[in-house]
Amino acid sequence: MNPRIISANLVVKLLSFYREKSAILFTIAFPIILILVFGTIFLSQDNVGYHLCLQDLDQTNSSAQAVKTLELNGKFKITRVDPAVNAKQYVMDNKVNLVLVIPKGYERSLMQRMMLNDFNASVTITYIYDPSSSSVTTKMEILNSVLAGINQGMSGKPPFLRSVERSILTKKYRFIEFFVPGIIAMAVMTLSLFGTVNSDTELRQKGVIRKLSTTPITRTDWILSNILYQFILAIISTIAMLLVSYAVFNVSLHINAWLLAFILLDVFAFVGIGMILTRFVKEAQSAAAAANAISFPMMFLSGSFFPIELMPGFLQTFAKTLPLYYVNEGLRASMIFEDHMAALRYSAIIGVFAAVVFILGIIATKWEEGH
Amino acid sequence: MTKETEYAIEVDKLTKRYGNLLAVNDISFTVSKGEVFSLLGPNGAGKTTTVEIIDTIRTPTSGKVSLLGMDVTKKKHDIVPRIGVLPQGFSSFDRITVRETIQYYSRLFCCRNTDIDGLIELVNLKDKTKEQYKKLSGGLKQRLGIAIALVNDPEVVFLDEPTTGLDPRARHEVWEVLLGLKKKGKTVFLTTHYMEEAELLADTVAIISKGKIIAMGSPGELVESNANYLVLRLQSVDEKVFEIARKMGFAPVLDNHKNIAVRLEHTDDVQKILNAIKDAGALYLGLDVRKLNLEEVFLKLTGEALREDPPQMEEQ
Repeated sequence: MNPRIISANLVVKLLSFYREKSAILFTIAFPIILILVFGTIFLSQDNVGYHLCLQDLDQTNSSAQAVKTLELNGKFKITRVDPAVNAKQYVMDNKVNLVLVIPKGYERSLMQRMMLNDFNASVTITYIYDPSSSSVTTKMEILNSVLAGINQGMSGKPPFLRSVERSILTKKYRFIEFFVPGIIAMAVMTLSLFGTVNSDTELRQKGVIRKLSTTPITRTDWILSNILYQFILAIISTIAMLLVSYAVFNVSLHINAWLLAFILLDVFAFVGIGMILTRFVKEAQSAAAAANAISFPMMFLSGSFFPIELMPGFLQTFAKTLPLYYVNEGLRASMIFEDHMAALRYSAIIGVFAAVVFILGIIATKWEEGH
Repeated sequence: MTKETEYAIEVDKLTKRYGNLLAVNDISFTVSKGEVFSLLGPNGAGKTTTVEIIDTIRTPTSGKVSLLGMDVTKKKHDIVPRIGVLPQGFSSFDRITVRETIQYYSRLFCCRNTDIDGLIELVNLKDKTKEQYKKLSGGLKQRLGIAIALVNDPEVVFLDEPTTGLDPRARHEVWEVLLGLKKKGKTVFLTTHYMEEAELLADTVAIISKGKIIAMGSPGELVESNANYLVLRLQSVDEKVFEIARKMGFAPVLDNHKNIAVRLEHTDDVQKILNAIKDAGALYLGLDVRKLNLEEVFLKLTGEALREDPPQMEEQ
């Protein structure tokens, strides 16, 4: 190992990167764009407001009071539907997924119940809905819980079963705070994997590696300079992502030594995979396809974009076999929850994986033309 | 241990197989220090495999190769700092400038005293020092490759087809650089399939065909030993000339352009044929008498063309 040779190689790689504008764009801009797009989409996820169309056929003070109660609940932004129109037709014509219909006689039944204590008096609220809408079920569940609350309030007796929410976290985190560590893990994986595969196959195909094999640079010098280079790019990319996240979304994430550790382990693991791929794929184009085949499932199934708990059971099991899952979870443990024990556990798993693939990568890297 | 020897390169019974393909078949030769040695052969003859074994890129199947007295299979780390290599199809980092590329390779060899400006001047790239590699023309790239091969002031320089794919002007520019190396007394191992390149630059030429060395010597010796006769060529002859030469006991050859080539053992035969043509009142437009060149010697020895576009008989 020769530090002078490693630094010479590192300088050439960094200069090449600096002068390749498209590489800078994809390395730094792409993850930032993802953060901006997804962050904006889910910005108000914690204060979800549903659009609710409501048709009041009773048109009385009592029914107006019921509508106001729904509005005050805060979950719904209500659009009133003319009582004269056909609600079913309204759903179809206006491409809405649900119209809540307060029937005629609402006030009369309410009076019977409240004034005359006629417990047989009741009102049926109708949901005219489009079952093909993916969010309509959630909307109906929320409406049911609101109606249950109103029913309970009308009984005049305190509820027997109460519930209270106690989070295991000291504070509630937002979607963007869940998302940013996942994007950091994914961006570092993409950089390391594609950086290694593209650069090595291109240089091999062009004959640069053959020329280098006639100089004193060794395979170890080459690999170490590549690791250093990918680590520097990963740090630059992570800093850019964090700056944007803080500036635009005011995220609350903990920056500590674990962040550096997980970036380094992410780099080692995916440079290692890249080196193994390069051994078997000779052409630059096939190499990119092979890297895609590895990175895409990893991106979508390892919980970078959304929690794996949203996936079916067998996919959750599969996700836990993916190395990126442990980087995602480790980064979240340290950056969101400051859970050092969990971070240690995840770092141990990804650390062992990174060590194995990196050693295999070194063995697989062909430096001389050989036999 | 480095063995002191008068030879820079010693190749003894070298063989290289790729599966069932026998690329190099039991070849032996030596290259003296300060000599320009050219391995000449068509594509696929085994030139690159041979040079890549000697310059440590590949390993042999069998046989022994010593470079500067050291076994190439065992002493790569000692050999590499003392040699310079321009591999076939040389390429470098696209976005790195000429000067930076030379500096980079100099740092790989840990050379603190490389005369970067001197090298740039040697390969005549003074106006291109800030140009990125990808923007250089083919000839400039090859010249940069030669400069890189010299960053460590090597004792032996390997140049594998340094002018392949270059236009004639760029080829001549590279030859100028190589002549400069020759003047400096460097040992140069050159592979080429350009006959004029070998004739111009090499002290010794080895002709390789199908993995075997079939002739070796100086360009003059090869022509002398393999073509000790003259060729008389007559342009656009009438049919009588062909008959005259045949009746005189020669074996004339007629080509598609109605040119006749006649092999002659003695200089006097030229005058005899010309007199006979004149006496018969036959006509020809031009004539040429010369010895075979190295390319024709190669054709004679191997039955193969050096390139895919073998030179046609020259028009007079």
